[in-house]
This record gives sequence, structure tokens and C-alpha cells, in this order.
Amino acid sequence: MATVDQAVPLRAGTRSERMVRWLTRTPIHIGLVAIAVIWLVPTVGLAITSFRKPVDISNTGWWHAFTQWDWTLHNYGSVIHATGMGHAWVNSLIITVPATLLPLTLGALAAFGFAWVPFPFRDTLFLIIVALMIVPIQTSLVPLLKLFAEHGHLNNGYWGIWLAHTAFGLPLAVFLLRNFFITLPKDLIEAARMDGASNLSIFRRIVVPLSVPALASFGIFQFLWVWNDLLMALIFVSDPNKQPMTVRIPYLLSTYGQEYNLLAAAAFLLMIVPLIVFFALQRYFVQGLLAGSVKS
Amino acid sequence: MKRRRPFIALFVLLALVVAAVTATAISAKPAKRNANSIEVLSLWGGSEKDAFLKVTAAFTKATGINVQYTAARDFIPDIRTRLAAGNPPDIGILPRPGYIGTLAKQGALKQLSSLGLSNAYMKANYTPGWLALGSSGGKLYGVPAKANSKSVIWYKPQSFKKYHFKIPKTWNQLLAITKAYKAKGLVPWSVGAGPSQSQWTLTDWFENIYARTAGPAKYQRLFTGKLPFTDPSVANAARIMTQIINNKYVLNGVQGVLGQSFVGGIGDVFGTSPKAQLYFEGGFVGGIALQQVNTALKPGKTIADFPWPTIKPGLDHPVVGAADFAAAFKSSPEVTQFLKYISTKAAGTIWVSTGAVNSPNKRVSGSAYPNVLARAEAHQLATAKTFLFDGSDLLPGAFGDTWGFALQDVIQHPGNIKSILSDFQNKIKGQF
Amino acid sequence: MSSQPLPAPAPAAPAPPAKGRRFGLRARPSSLSGFLFVLPALVVLVIFLIYPAYYTTRLAFYEGDFHFGFFHYLGIDNFKELLTNDKDFLDLSKFPPGGALINNLRWLIFYISLSLLIGLGLAVLAVRVRYERFVKTAIFLPMAISAVAVGIIWLLVYSPNPDIGILNGLLRGGGLHTQSWLGNPSLVNYALIFAYIWASVGFVMVVLSAAIKGLPADVLEAARVDGANEWQIFRRIMFPLLSLPISVVTIWLFINVIKVFDIIYVMTGGGPGTSSRVIAFTMYEETFQNGRPGYGAAVAVIMLVLIAPVMILNVRRFRSEKVVA
Repeated sequence: MATVDQAVPLRAGTRSERMVRWLTRTPIHIGLVAIAVIWLVPTVGLAITSFRKPVDISNTGWWHAFTQWDWTLHNYGSVIHATGMGHAWVNSLIITVPATLLPLTLGALAAFGFAWVPFPFRDTLFLIIVALMIVPIQTSLVPLLKLFAEHGHLNNGYWGIWLAHTAFGLPLAVFLLRNFFITLPKDLIEAARMDGASNLSIFRRIVVPLSVPALASFGIFQFLWVWNDLLMALIFVSDPNKQPMTVRIPYLLSTYGQEYNLLAAAAFLLMIVPLIVFFALQRYFVQGLLAGSVKS
Repeated sequence: MKRRRPFIALFVLLALVVAAVTATAISAKPAKRNANSIEVLSLWGGSEKDAFLKVTAAFTKATGINVQYTAARDFIPDIRTRLAAGNPPDIGILPRPGYIGTLAKQGALKQLSSLGLSNAYMKANYTPGWLALGSSGGKLYGVPAKANSKSVIWYKPQSFKKYHFKIPKTWNQLLAITKAYKAKGLVPWSVGAGPSQSQWTLTDWFENIYARTAGPAKYQRLFTGKLPFTDPSVANAARIMTQIINNKYVLNGVQGVLGQSFVGGIGDVFGTSPKAQLYFEGGFVGGIALQQVNTALKPGKTIADFPWPTIKPGLDHPVVGAADFAAAFKSSPEVTQFLKYISTKAAGTIWVSTGAVNSPNKRVSGSAYPNVLARAEAHQLATAKTFLFDGSDLLPGAFGDTWGFALQDVIQHPGNIKSILSDFQNKIKGQF
Repeated sequence: MSSQPLPAPAPAAPAPPAKGRRFGLRARPSSLSGFLFVLPALVVLVIFLIYPAYYTTRLAFYEGDFHFGFFHYLGIDNFKELLTNDKDFLDLSKFPPGGALINNLRWLIFYISLSLLIGLGLAVLAVRVRYERFVKTAIFLPMAISAVAVGIIWLLVYSPNPDIGILNGLLRGGGLHTQSWLGNPSLVNYALIFAYIWASVGFVMVVLSAAIKGLPADVLEAARVDGANEWQIFRRIMFPLLSLPISVVTIWLFINVIKVFDIIYVMTGGGPGTSSRVIAFTMYEETFQNGRPGYGAAVAVIMLVLIAPVMILNVRRFRSEKVVA
């Protein structure tokens, strides 16, 4: 796995040499373990808090949970049912899946065109699309909100947010996939063309199957991007019944009550999906993030 | 094939989680909105929300119309986004009458008379003062939904007893108690005016002091744009505020105030491991303390309130109060039915019986209030010689918040009061 | 799988074959067909990205109305007001200066430098221990988490109540004064920055450690044989070879800083007062809280202007490396 390469093999040495090396490295060990622990503590604290009773949360720190053994699943029950977070969780999925598949499909098609089917001004057009990566989401909020409201109320359903995410995911998709597609063996594509295969069937039969890693990288990146997005959902999903978790969770933080039991459980529900993706698909995940590093 | 495995693992895991959460979510799915259902948008959470839901449940039972309650985090950005999207809620509970003017000017609100709530009907249920607050440009838009006194200070009777403190009648007596607590090694005050938009508690401090130092007439003029914030009376009241809200007397000092939320501050005083002795905020503190913060509290024994003391002898102690107004963004028979229902005596009675709120409805009787705290508040509101509406809530648009930010600045930099006030005056000039 | 270095910045793109154009022209005469593949993406981009950007840029020169229309032409007044007369955006009258722009500058300096420093340190050191996997997973985990969840996590850590927040709990345990991390205007920005660093260091670490593993082993070994100590190796050999991945990471961090919004929305709402506002948050506040869409649009345009040069630089590099291969 990409993030978990083995340690540099230690060169063989006498016992005393190894001893000396171990001693000189003690500070490194301490430092690394300390940082790892510091990095874990906040998340662990949240996880534990989500299993504590409200009275305990407001009166003793979560670190007391180990001594006062009084854990409960009640917070999850009430956050899913009473605050409608379960519903919002489903909304998050409903928003995320099409908002991932749409730019993936459109992006792959366009990338194929840019990579293998020539047309006038192809490279110029490609550069323009790549340059669109600089456009910050903020420039789209007001005009798209107005556009959606005036034409078909797209923001009352999910179409508005799907299309907005598609537009902001496309430049990256086109850029990444095109750069991957041009590395495919040209003999293969050439041969298919000789056999009279149409561009579309070359795309479907040859390019897509050979490009699974690149498609997966972008797909995962876009999936996480959309799942974790707050700002676009805040503006483009105006029906409270359709809002995703990222929008609903801050609503629990009103001035009239900060119920940490609910907040912690809700935040944990939000984290489940990315964490599963993380642990199951570490390699693609990291590549997706790296790929996304060029996105604005 | 090695590459496939993580995919399969992912899909199996995802499928499991999706199945599990969908199953729970479907069972928890809020009632789908249909013709026979209305959406109400409000900021209420915790005990105030629970109280409101009791009222809506009774409404649904009586009419068969479902009410979907939507909590907003911040009223104005939420409503602006939804108006721009062409998808406002049916009814909004406006936390400030100042919003009525702002939204009515935009043409976003429906007049009550157009919904079938005639002026005569409204007059039968509410006093003219409340109706004036619900109006803009002479037209009535808002139904007063719930009211609270903001001129009470919360204390611990058992602690007053222990130290032989008497209920303070004047500001100096209050300061003396503050100093006495301090001398005994206790933290006198907690103030929660920080994160999650809790700066409004400072505006309430200011208003109570201003009403008692500058008088009701100036108070009215200041908050309706007829007196500039650069008037010396404003700086004077701000300075008096810092006699208590300073590093000496509040928990964790001024920075602590800015780091604590309104509800967190109640917990500092009335939680199970209290750290301070006194808390100031409106009557709703009682409901929140009893129901959210510490269910072991005993009204009258471990928690009670006293009226804000007098500062300038001649000015007595006017009552500052606030209210939320229900206003319609859409017109439909259901909306009319709902607004009519919440303005009935029956609804008001259910509402106040929760102990979380007061009813502005003049036909709700005092006996409907469940405990001494709620009854005392109702009595204070009903018998007030001078009633002043929460000033910051009268400011237009989001200026109620901006004023709170300015006061956050004041308590940090009491030396800069003048320039802070003139900056604020520059911002608000011409906005009324 | 374990030894495969990570390609940075984009997935593996070994030297592309001969120019697609020459090859394609010969193979397929129809130029319309290629355009058809690109067309759907193009339509979406024009309607939902290019047109909005144009609209917002135009709106920045107007006073907007309730329906986000062009109400009243103002010329550059919005920008003038923002840069000279809006203390919430730029306040040079006091020391240290304040306002959203200055806060973003603080973010820029501390977030970028600390993320790089910690990430590089971890990348260099973690490879030397057997439990590298554990360390890296722990550091990288927050990358998966939404900024909303990060905000909730850190609200808990920073809680002013030492019975809730572990940071103040530790301070009290050590006999020190508790701090109001999010309530003190001179601390709040740094508290937010640290929370975001916590969430971003994993990325820096992973990119740089992949780059380190891709370094030529023989060069490092030769230096060791010549008696160079580890510090010298790092300073003289590794660091210069890492300059490209470091610049990639820096650009990523820079763009993150300019667009930071979620964590502030969740943790402080820009407060206390306006002391933790940043540019992206100001855009939201002005447009949706204060109802000044034209003014908000001007803020969005400033964001665009700040990001543009960096991205153009970036794209240029891609162009020289990949596009015109």
C-alpha cells in the first residue's frame, strides 16, 4: 500500500552497533509516537464522546469514560431519528453518487476526444478547460442560485447540486483522464480502427477497461469532495428535506443548545463513509487525493 | 486480480453500511411534505423547540395538517438563500421584529389580513404594543408567538442564604454582592457571549443598563435610528457594563466570555459542577437550565431569579423583553389555519405549560404556568410599568448581530469605547 | 505494491507517445466526431461555470438587489470600499493589522509553513521506524474527514470548559490558566489554523514520503559511504531533489488557504466579532447575511485574482511537462 511502505531495511551489524543505533534513535521514536498520538487523540475523543450520556459529557471530560464505565448507543438513536440525521445521511448519498458519476462520464468522454480524436483547436480548448480549475466556487454561488431558481427550480430537487458539482469536477476529470489516456498503447487503438471500430466502441471496449486505475482515482477524489462539501450544498439545496449531513450538522450548533452528544454522534456518522473508503481503498484514495491536489 | 480485491471489500462494506443506515433512516424519515403539510422555519432548539413541538402536535391532532419543523442555524442567511431559490418555508419564526421590516420591504412576507387574520381578530388577542412590533409600514405581518422578559438575573438561593445576601435592589447592591463573592474566593459571574452567535447576550446587558441610565424615551429613539450611537449616554451605559463584565468578575475573564456560548454559560452557573454564581439572561434561562443543563435543579431553592436592579433612582426598573414573531412567506389555507391556531388561548396554554416560554397572548391565564419561575416571569411582564422591547432586535437586517460584535469589542477594549461606537454609527447610518 | 512510489502530482503518466494530432489526422478524417465527445462537457462548463464566473465578475461592479440582479452600477466602488473603508476586510489602522485579508495572510504564513515543516519531518523520519504504517495512518486519517467533522472534533478539543475540552483539561491539570482558544481574538485564528494543519499534514507527508522513496538509493548510499551524516544527507541531497514535490504541495496548501470556509463556518462563524473572518467567509457573510450580493461578488473576484497567478503557474508547468509532450 502506498502509505504503508516497509521501513528501510536495517543493515546488519553487531549487537552493540544495533544497540547504539537504537539509542540514538530514541528521540525519533518518542517524537514520532508522540505526534501520532496527538494526531489520534481528537478523533478518539470525539468517538468516545459519541458513546457517553449527555449528563456525563457536560460534567466530565471524555477521558473519564474509561473509569466511569457508562457507555450508551442512545446518542446515535436520537441523532438519527430525532434530528433527522439518518435522512440527511441518505441525502448525502443521493447527492454524492450522481455528482461523482456525471463528471466521471462526461470527463472521460471529453478526455477521450482530447486524447485520441483530433479536431480543430483541440489543444487550445483543452488548455482552456484546464485553466478553468482556477475558478473558485464562490463565483458560482449567486448566479447559479438565480439561474436554478428562474429556470425549472433545479435547486428544489437535486439537479442543481448535481450539475454544479459536475461543472466544478469536470476540468480536473478532463485533465487527469486525458493525460492517462494518451499513455495507452497506440497500436491497440490503431488496430481497432483498422478493423473498422467506431470511436465510441474504441472508447467503450479499449480505453475504459484499460483506464480503471485513473477512473477510480478521479472517482474516489470526486466522491470524497462531494460527500465532504458544505458550501455548495448550503446554497444549492434549498429544500430542508433534501439537505446532506454537512449542512444539517452545523444546525445542531445553534445558540440555544450545543448538545455535544448529538454533535459527536452526527460527526461520526458523517465520517464513516470516507473512513471506509480510506481503509478499503488506500492506494486509490491516496492517488485520488494526489490527483486532486491540482484542483482549486 | 489483486487490484480487484479492495474494490470488492469496499462495495461489500459500503453496501452493508448503506443498508443499515437506510433502514434506520427510512423508519425515521420525516413526513413528506404534501398539500396537507406546512413547513415552519425557526432558530429554536432544545427546550424551546420541544415546547413548540408540543403546540404543533396539538395543531396536527386538531386539524390533520402536519407541521414540519426546520431548524435554521442563522435565520437571515438561510431565509435569503431560500428566497433567492424561490423556495421559502411556509412560515418563519422571526427571532427579531427588525426582520419584519427588512423582509416586508423585499415583498417576501404575506400580510396577515390577506390571510384572513383580521386586525380585529388580532386586537382581541394581543395588546397594541405587541401588534405594533409585528407591523411594518402600518401593515400587520407577524403574529407574536412567544415572549420573554429579559430583565431578570439568575442566582442560587441557597448560596445567598449561606452568605446572608439580600436580593439587590440597586446596581450598587449588585456590585457589592459581586465583590463579596469575589472576596470569598468565588467567581461571581458567568457570561456566555461567544461562539455560535451568542453575542446577543451582551446586547441584552447593554439594553437593561441603558434603559436604567438613559431612560425609556432615549432608549426608544436610540434603537429606532433617531439618536446616534455616539450620544454620550451610550458610552456611559457601555462603561457601566464593564463594571461587571471585566477580567475581575467573570469566569475566565473577558476572553472566557468570548469563548463561552449562551447555553454553556448557564452550565457554568447551574450545571452539576458549577464554577460561577450569577447569570444574566431572559426568562427562558429557567427552562433551559431545568430541562437541558441540570434536571436536578429545584426552582426556588437551587435556582431563582430577581428583577434587574435600579441604576438611576428616578428611572426605576423598566422591563426589557423580547418576542418571536410567526410570519407567513406563502399563503394557503393551511398557513392561515396554523397562524390562527397559535394565536388561540388553547395553543398559548399548551405552550406556557412547558415552562419554557411566556405567551404574549393576553387571554392566557397566569395559572397555566407550571412553576414559580415561569409564573414570576409572567407576572413581571404583565405588571411592568414600562415595557421596552429588546433594542438590538429592532435594528434592521443583520445589525442586531453587528451591534453584538461591537459590544464584544467594548468589553475587550473599554478604553476604545468612543471609537468603537462611532465606527458602529457609521455602519448603521441611513439603514433604518 | 508496497514499493511503488506515488506519482506526483498526477497519476502515472510516463512519457506520452508521439503527438496525438499527427497520428489521429491520418487515422480519422472526421473532425466533427472528436468535437462531439467534448461537447457535453463543454456545454456543462459554459452554463454552470463560465457563465456564472462572468456574471459574478460583472455583479462586482454593481449594487445587487434582493434577487441578485444588477441594481445600480457602481464602477469600482465595491473594491474601493473593501480595500480602504471596510475594517472587517482590511484594517491597517491598528497593530497588528486585522481584517479578513490579513487573517488570510496569517493563514498563508502559518498554515503553509507549519504544514510543510511537520509533513516533511514526518516523511523523513517515519521511514526509519518499523511502525511506519501506524504513524502514517494516524497522521493521514484526518484527510478523509470532512471539514465539518474536523470543526466539531476541534470544538470539543478547544472547549473553554476544562471538564469538556482536553486542552484546557491538560492546562488545568498542569496548574496553568485555562485559555479561551476560540474566544480570544488574538488566539482564535491560530487555533483554527492548527485544526486545519491537523487535517492537512497527512497529505504533505504522503506526497513527500513518496517522493523520498523515489530518490535514487545509490546516491544516498554513496553519500553515507563517504561519511556524510544524516543531516548533511538531508540538507545537501534530499532537500534539493525534493523541490518539485514541495512546490506541488505548497500550491495545494495555498489554494486551500484561499478557499478555507467550512471550518470557520462550523467553529466560530467568523467570531468573536469579525476577528476570524477570512476572504471566503466574508463573501458568504456579505452576500447572504448582510444581503449585499454586489459587494460579495467583489470579494469573490478578489479570491479569483489571488488564486489565478498560482494556478496559471501550475498549469504552465503541466503544459511544459504533459500537455505538449
